[in-house]
Amino acid sequence: MEAVPPGSVIVADWYRNPDSRDFFTKILHKKKRRVFGLLEAPVMPPHLKADTVRYKVFISGKSGVGKTALAARLAGHQIPNMHYETTGMETSIVFWPVKLKESSRVLFFQFQLWDCGENAMRRFDHMLTSCKEQVDAILFLFSFTDHGSFKDISNQMSRFTDPSDRVVRLVVGTKFDLFMHTDVTESEITRFQEVSRVPVFRVGGDVSEGFGEIAPLLNALAENLWHQDCIHASSASLPPQPHPEDTNREVIV
Amino acid sequence: MFGAGQGTVLSSCETERGSRVVWRVFQDSLMLIAVSGGGNKALSELHLRRLLENTWNCMVLVLGRDELANVRNVERLKRELRSCYRLIDRLLERGGEDQGFMGDLTHCADCLVPAQPGILQETLDSFTQAADSEFGCLLIRGRVAVATDKWLRLAPQEVILLSTLANSLSGVTSCDYPVFLPQGSPTVAHRLLCFQLLPSAVVCVLCGPSPSLHRVESELVGSFWSPLVETLRGCLEQAERSSLPPSVSLRWDIQALLVINRETRRSVVASSRASSQNPSEAPPLSSPARRWELLRHFYTFAVTRYFTSEEVTTSPTLPATPCYLVTDECKCYGLQTPQHQLYLLTDLSVPTFALRSVATLTLSAVTGATGF
Repeated sequence: MEAVPPGSVIVADWYRNPDSRDFFTKILHKKKRRVFGLLEAPVMPPHLKADTVRYKVFISGKSGVGKTALAARLAGHQIPNMHYETTGMETSIVFWPVKLKESSRVLFFQFQLWDCGENAMRRFDHMLTSCKEQVDAILFLFSFTDHGSFKDISNQMSRFTDPSDRVVRLVVGTKFDLFMHTDVTESEITRFQEVSRVPVFRVGGDVSEGFGEIAPLLNALAENLWHQDCIHASSASLPPQPHPEDTNREVIV
Repeated sequence: MFGAGQGTVLSSCETERGSRVVWRVFQDSLMLIAVSGGGNKALSELHLRRLLENTWNCMVLVLGRDELANVRNVERLKRELRSCYRLIDRLLERGGEDQGFMGDLTHCADCLVPAQPGILQETLDSFTQAADSEFGCLLIRGRVAVATDKWLRLAPQEVILLSTLANSLSGVTSCDYPVFLPQGSPTVAHRLLCFQLLPSAVVCVLCGPSPSLHRVESELVGSFWSPLVETLRGCLEQAERSSLPPSVSLRWDIQALLVINRETRRSVVASSRASSQNPSEAPPLSSPARRWELLRHFYTFAVTRYFTSEEVTTSPTLPATPCYLVTDECKCYGLQTPQHQLYLLTDLSVPTFALRSVATLTLSAVTGATGF
């Protein structure tokens, strides 16, 4: 399914809006992003109640391309400054408040990011199956400093073909700040987007305070996942079969 | 290596200023060498030996014994070994942190005694069972609070490595790591599933091929552990202050202590906070980091000279000699009973002749109230 234009389903850059402040403070703790345990979630006062919708997002990419760093960046945690190979599967939770355009309803999107080391995935069969199980979106990563990883994107995407087309796909280029060592040109990116119809996002550099860097990617994820859920709900002539995941989500038709 | 060619065994060497080189061959395949600097940063031979063993166990944990014992392609092994670095680094750092983790040196699991173990134990046992496993444990601030029977019967080095692995989660909420237990199962991998229930409260289970991480996280974690959020928060608060429950009160002039249960190979540490109970004439207590360092040095001293047999034997033997040491920073006392070992650091104000009774009373205060 093609990605929707940004700002068509949700309010674009809502974090800049003063009325979003009550929600964004709930994912912060003393100016830094709060670490939520599995038993915790942002709690809003009764007059500002917002439902939570959960989605599983798998981060795919070659070893060293920056998967663990991206998960840390999105969750707002410290990005490791040394490259340590991930020896298994790790998941992180990101809460992201979003305002729907049409209904002005506010939702907390709970993204569960799945990050698996390439070596571990190769050695143990159950890892890939586990990552693909009930996945809602896949982020395909390449590094701007490694042209080989960019060329590998189409390979990666073909490995994750999904007949029901219910998986949102986005491409993310990492280490964008290392412009002295860039190996991938802007025109290549443009051509890739035209041909594959998948948007490409850029991340890199030190984490700045504020959400400006991660907002485009998280908003795009939220928007496309929500849009996809709506389409699939309305296109079914019979009520949709209950999936275990759907009991956690509300879908407005 | 020259010596080995002549049929002798040389295991370590040191310089005058305390630098030391220690080595050991594992599985007739790999030799590990540890080097430490001299002077203030000198590490004891015991510590370096333990370090070699820990490092080898890390490598087995991540790669499996087969990869290491039958090396076919050296270049490939060098690449694969890179995946062990994170765990080895974490293990090295843990000993140096000023939180009193001693497991890497004592080879006894670092534990804490929660105030309400009953409900935690019950929940852990049923959660572990629901996850098709018999091995489960709850870590609070990096220390084992409660664990299933089978988990406690794992080799202590395994427990320490698994705790270190689970404790390196930081921002990660859950994980599925393949592990080869160095003593229990070095050639067949198990899966270590960890779940960060609250920041610094991690529950771990050791599983076979099923259940999947997604299933345990979405179906089991919430239903078993949500009712215990307040209990867990209480536990975290208690752990911030001490590894011992409030029911155990220590004399104000005890600087730090380490109690080891020799049977179960578990250990618990405690240190007194700077408190208003101090009379103003008493010298100020050393910093926590310094106290842990002194405790480690005293442990090494006592174990290399006095408590040399680590196994618990049933035959009647002479009781091990208690030992004491007076330095210009503190007084140390080491005591061993059939069940326990106690390493105690006290203020200089405690009279030396009273050390023995202080130690005996402290040991019964700790073990009596808690059943440790």
